[in-house]
Amino acid sequence: MATTLDKKELTPRSAEEERLIALRKRDTRRKWFWRIAGYVVILGTWQWFSSNVFNSRIVPGPIQIVEVFPDLWNSGRFAESYAATLTRIGISFGLSFLFGALLGVATQIRWVAGFFKDSITIGLVSPGLVWALTGLVIWGFEPQGWIFAIFLTTFALVTVNVAEGIQALPKDLIDMSRAFGVTTWRRQREIVIPFLAPFIFTALRFGFSIAWKVTVLTEVFSSNAGIGFEMRVASQLFRMDEFWAWALSFFVFALTLEKLVLQRYERKFFRWREEVSH
Amino acid sequence: MATPVGSAPMQGSRLRRAFTSPVTARILFPFAVIAVWYLIYYTIDSRIFPTPVEVLEFMWEEITLTSGVRYSSVATNLYGQFGISILRLTAGFLIATTIGTLLGLAMGLWKSVDAFFHDWVMAILAMPALVWALALSIIFGFGHTAPVLTVILAGVPFVIVNVREGVRNTPKELIDMAKSFEVPQEKITRHVLLPSLMPFFFAGMRYAYSIGWKGLVIAEVFGSQVGMGWTIKFWYDAHRAKGVIGYALFFIIFAVTLEKVVFDPLARRTFKWRPALNAYQLAEGDFGAVSQEGFLLEEDEIDQDIEVTGMEGRSHDG
Repeated sequence: MATTLDKKELTPRSAEEERLIALRKRDTRRKWFWRIAGYVVILGTWQWFSSNVFNSRIVPGPIQIVEVFPDLWNSGRFAESYAATLTRIGISFGLSFLFGALLGVATQIRWVAGFFKDSITIGLVSPGLVWALTGLVIWGFEPQGWIFAIFLTTFALVTVNVAEGIQALPKDLIDMSRAFGVTTWRRQREIVIPFLAPFIFTALRFGFSIAWKVTVLTEVFSSNAGIGFEMRVASQLFRMDEFWAWALSFFVFALTLEKLVLQRYERKFFRWREEVSH
Repeated sequence: MATPVGSAPMQGSRLRRAFTSPVTARILFPFAVIAVWYLIYYTIDSRIFPTPVEVLEFMWEEITLTSGVRYSSVATNLYGQFGISILRLTAGFLIATTIGTLLGLAMGLWKSVDAFFHDWVMAILAMPALVWALALSIIFGFGHTAPVLTVILAGVPFVIVNVREGVRNTPKELIDMAKSFEVPQEKITRHVLLPSLMPFFFAGMRYAYSIGWKGLVIAEVFGSQVGMGWTIKFWYDAHRAKGVIGYALFFIIFAVTLEKVVFDPLARRTFKWRPALNAYQLAEGDFGAVSQEGFLLEEDEIDQDIEVTGMEGRSHDG
């Protein structure tokens, strides 16, 4: 049985369609041309500046930085530092995410929302440096110090994102469940949490994007292992190529985790939603 | 526990109602913080950890200039340090806005320029300010250069991304129509392009300013001998917890004041409608760049005892 779809495929493309496809192809080609041109020009300028304007020890070029990688890799400090930093992120951001998300859900209760309102504002606007140094001066190198700092810098962002979901809750569903005497607990589990799921995911992604930065910052001041520690040591020894190798490797690692893994998973997880929303 | 249909939650006495109101909760918050502070004070065994009273005394001495601490010949006291930081921040911010607007316009108008810079702008946006602070202070040593450059690098991607989005967001039909009615270009720019660009431009500046400030204090720790960042490091190096916490509170007061007294009213006046996207949704960026509008309930709403507030005026994506 020939459906309309089949027919459409059989009919030859009109001249207009051909023209559009050609145009689109040309656009893609142009875009890639300029993109690659951007990489070449910017990396080239960087390399040129490093060898002609600045001392290449102080401003290493991209080639130098790449050359340092094998040495760092072989030194065995790579695995150790990554493990230290990731453990820190795991523990402190885990706590902060849990608290932040619960607080976000709890903003349905207006008393709780009022109570924590100012703490959210403060958490969003105050710099991570402040918490890092405060935690350090109170607890020294002990774990409480960095847990304190990472927790206070990230929980507000998680809460804000979850609370944004709470504000978008389908009011009619809530009202109906109330009218039919559904218990508060069941309402949370069956209406609120499923509705919030995408917001919680976004909160996780945004929170992580800040958590790794703050973690590295606290390590600069208060640790003897980790990426931040290695960065500080390298910069104190004026080994800027090593400094950039550490910084860029973790930068790429964190971005990959954030954009590729979390974002892709988010999309996969909520594919059903998109179909509904259109 | 099932709530009966139509039960009135405020049957209790006036006192109970007053206690359960969100405003009371908000007032209670600082007291809770002080309570937790004392809890930490009595549980940890630290000789340097101060009580809130000690910190407040320290802050008061700093404000009234009676502490007797003379930081340096350039900036002797709190006000001097703040002044230098604000000057640096403003300089960096102005440069970042200029560069960001030009580049953002170019990227919004021409696809080739956009393809050329896009990945690099995103990379700079996601780079921690700490990396700039450390690298630049090694390159330029102590002085104004490293802190100001850190502000620029931390802030400029936010301006670029927002201005670009603003240009793209301009309704094309309006421009087409204006053109077909032979409206002069200058008028199109003034009445179509600028109004639709403004909210985005403003959002970009706001993020650039607050992110720039967070970067600045880090840069001042490593690449400067004056400024707010340097001052908190000074107290940290001196192992005076009350100094660190006192200055931390100064930072927070400054940041909150900036946000509530300067940016919020400006934002309300500059554009009545919010841009559909904030910098975060475009490219997940840095601390606190998420808009706080629409979060929780506004003060005047809190006073009302309506159980569910309406959703009017709250824009959401999708």
